[in-house]
Amino acid sequence: MNIKSYVNLYELLKINPSTPDENRAFGLTHVMLKNKPIEQLMSWVNEHKHRLQQPLLSETFSSYLYRVTFALVVMAFILGVLAGVGLLSYNGHEPVNVIYFITVVIFFPLFTMLITLLAMLRAANSQSVLVHLSPAFWMEKILGLLPDTIEENIKTLKINPLLANWVVIRRSQIIVLFFSLGLLFSLLGVVVTKDIAFAWSTTLDINPNALHEFLHAVALPWRDIVPSAVPSLELIEQSQYFRLGEKLDEKMISQASKLGEWWKFLAFATLFYAILLRVLMFLLASFGFRLALKKSLLAVKGSMKLLREINEPIISTHGKTRESIFVANEKHYSQTVSRLDASYDGIQGWSIPYNTLLVLADSMQIITPEYFEVGGINTLEEDFEVISKSQGEVLLLVKAWEPPTMDFVDYVIELTKKVDKVVVMPIGTAENHYETNEKEIDVWENKLSLLDNSKVWLKRRSVQSLSGGGSK
Amino acid sequence: MKGHRKNAFEHPRFAVVGHPNKGKSSIVSALALDDSVQISDTPGTTMKKRSFPLSVDGKVLYELFDTPGFQRARRVLAWLEKHDVPANKKYEVVQAFIDTHKEDERFSDEIELLEPIMEGAGIIYVVDGSQPYGEEYETEMEILRWTGQPSMALINHIDETDYSKEWKKALEHYFKMVRTFNPMQASIEEHMNILESMAQLKEEWIAPVKASIKLLQQYKDQMLERSASMVTRMVYDSVSMVEKLYFYSQEASEIEKKKIESKYKDRLRDLEMSTQKSIEEVWNHGHLKKEEKVFRFEGMDLFSEETASVFGLTRKELIITGVTSGAVTGAGVDLLLAGHTLLLGGAIGALIGGTGAYFGFNELSEVKVLGQTMGKRYLEMGPMENRNFPYILLGRAMYHTMKVAQISHATREVFDIEMDQTFKEKWLDDTSRKSLEKYHKKFRSGKALEAEELKSYEKIIKRILKHLIDA
Repeated sequence: MNIKSYVNLYELLKINPSTPDENRAFGLTHVMLKNKPIEQLMSWVNEHKHRLQQPLLSETFSSYLYRVTFALVVMAFILGVLAGVGLLSYNGHEPVNVIYFITVVIFFPLFTMLITLLAMLRAANSQSVLVHLSPAFWMEKILGLLPDTIEENIKTLKINPLLANWVVIRRSQIIVLFFSLGLLFSLLGVVVTKDIAFAWSTTLDINPNALHEFLHAVALPWRDIVPSAVPSLELIEQSQYFRLGEKLDEKMISQASKLGEWWKFLAFATLFYAILLRVLMFLLASFGFRLALKKSLLAVKGSMKLLREINEPIISTHGKTRESIFVANEKHYSQTVSRLDASYDGIQGWSIPYNTLLVLADSMQIITPEYFEVGGINTLEEDFEVISKSQGEVLLLVKAWEPPTMDFVDYVIELTKKVDKVVVMPIGTAENHYETNEKEIDVWENKLSLLDNSKVWLKRRSVQSLSGGGSK
Repeated sequence: MKGHRKNAFEHPRFAVVGHPNKGKSSIVSALALDDSVQISDTPGTTMKKRSFPLSVDGKVLYELFDTPGFQRARRVLAWLEKHDVPANKKYEVVQAFIDTHKEDERFSDEIELLEPIMEGAGIIYVVDGSQPYGEEYETEMEILRWTGQPSMALINHIDETDYSKEWKKALEHYFKMVRTFNPMQASIEEHMNILESMAQLKEEWIAPVKASIKLLQQYKDQMLERSASMVTRMVYDSVSMVEKLYFYSQEASEIEKKKIESKYKDRLRDLEMSTQKSIEEVWNHGHLKKEEKVFRFEGMDLFSEETASVFGLTRKELIITGVTSGAVTGAGVDLLLAGHTLLLGGAIGALIGGTGAYFGFNELSEVKVLGQTMGKRYLEMGPMENRNFPYILLGRAMYHTMKVAQISHATREVFDIEMDQTFKEKWLDDTSRKSLEKYHKKFRSGKALEAEELKSYEKIIKRILKHLIDA
């Protein structure tokens, strides 16, 4: 798991390479990864990585990071060497003041480490001042302004601020570490190549005893292992250098060979405070980076959805097949009557009881010699018998709310073979005073239009309006 | 005559059958939570049987069949009654009818509806309880009796009139169980009760159907969780959204400033719209024709004053929220410094929070001119500074999700989202507002987002949604 994994996941989630079904199948075939979201994401990335465009953005980005880091490390090392040489510059007239070097290898690292710790605590902020204090941040910005250093696709990459901050924090540790290595290198180089007289000098009222106590405490990590790398009180007293007087202390000159002893202390101070502690900071930063990477992986847009698809069972209630589109046949039926005749050769009721037919005929004041109940629970034979008795013009009452079935259509076709005219009249429920609504009539109209029979007519108005004498 | 009944160990099947246009498809649509079923007032909309399996990871727990209505029931019964066989052989006669008339177009509908039954499906006979009972139905019921399959009747209420009593009396002669079910208004409990009844049709179906009921409850929870997750992401993306517009003159013109504002708003509108669509898909309402604009806030723009008045917080509420959240932050400082601030942290935090809320009531976000020194000039708008906006967005999302979750899958009409001034009171109480504000503040700050924080926000949204949907 590294920054490449993050970029790959980010890219894959953008192109959404798998369906929810495939993701669930992945979950079922990788059951050992259940409840391990990071491992699941990494494994999923590996499985789908081949779908990403080559060269992989992660490779480009990682190579860019490596190149920038390498350049910065080289620069930091050179800077460290130059700083070391400058601090240890000895012209043979004046001793080298160890206070400068101590400041750079002890106080400066401790101060920057404190800043780093604070930056680590505030790493979640997208605009972290502490992160912006890092030379790595600014040097990268400057490098970014140089032509062709950043490829266009890297610019579009939006990295989680938490992760971006940890990248800077971690990288800063490597850069400062190499700066410190440069310092150590220059110290050793100068010590080997020059005979340097180290001394200490300060305007502050510090006596050798106090400095000895302080340096003794500073040397705590190595004083028992390498006692010679701890300056003695005697050395401190002998190497105190006063600017006034222009000349060197005679005692100092007589003990000149001892003044070089300081280098051991300086080397160990560099090794411990500037290098070893920095290595520890780097390890801490790497740990934080890893933690941030894990958090960032889960925060990539779409990763929670992906995990859900991997881990949750697919519950489906959908139809297996797509339904063929039904196109309603809304034809207009031209053979309609608005007013019923005063008499018919017969009144028939499709699934309407005989008694209801009598009531209806009476209320509509229609005279007819015959009433027949057809359809419904009649047998087909009974219906054929009715047809055989039918003649002339027949009023066929139907329940408006019951849609016409093919059984009805069959009956009407047979009936038209025997009679001259069939007037189909849909009626509503008794509770509704046999009133019908437009929708119901439309359904009947559609069905009759399919019949396309010149003998079949449709009565569109209700019983009530008819009895009231209204017509359409 | 050969029987085609499937092995008893296979998953339960149920065929929804009946007279044409009595709401079979509506019932299937509601029970299967699938809005892709064609439903219309025109009889004969369903021409072929269609299977709706409830499956978990591909394993079918039960299967529903939507079927066409009976068309020539009397002819079918006449054919069956020609065969004088004992009761235990009747189903073989039905099978023989299917085998004989497979290619006969006259009986295509009957074959379609009888086939799943002869393959072992339980019968769910649907009638319309809002229309009077008719004896002609007895032919259909008699045919179903010939199949010998376990059966139940469902009284559907398409209209307001009620003839259930007379239907019940007739149906009880033919069916072991008679239940009432309105697919347009059925609650989750009623849905589950029908499934419970279906389980009772056959002993070996009890366990799988009960497992299905549990699974459906889990499915509902899954849908709720996914919706909450989508709403969360939408709020976060909207609040933290940043829009950029490059310009090449010395200073940005008013037109460019208006252009960036318009682009910013459009992106927010698009985000809301796409989230709404995804939520509709989660709840299986994605098959609706989009021109119906079923769940859209017609004429109620995201940035309109009307929207703000219906869904947003009042200035007073915003200030209280700002003061409280500011005070909490300040109190944290007091606690950290063991009260050495004389509790000034809380007071200052409250003041800052309240003032911010006051000024953040109307404006969306400042248009900033950036990059002047780098040679590339651009206008930037966002993240959202308006403190009311997340609540407006959330209110609309909650309302939309609640409606989508509550509406029956059998509904095919255009659905109107009515303005409801009291809606805010239903979902946003003081405690929720305080919890939400904490996250809104973080979304605005541009700080790195942790999955855990989004999860916590999602939990609050889920709780509110559940409360709204179940209410």
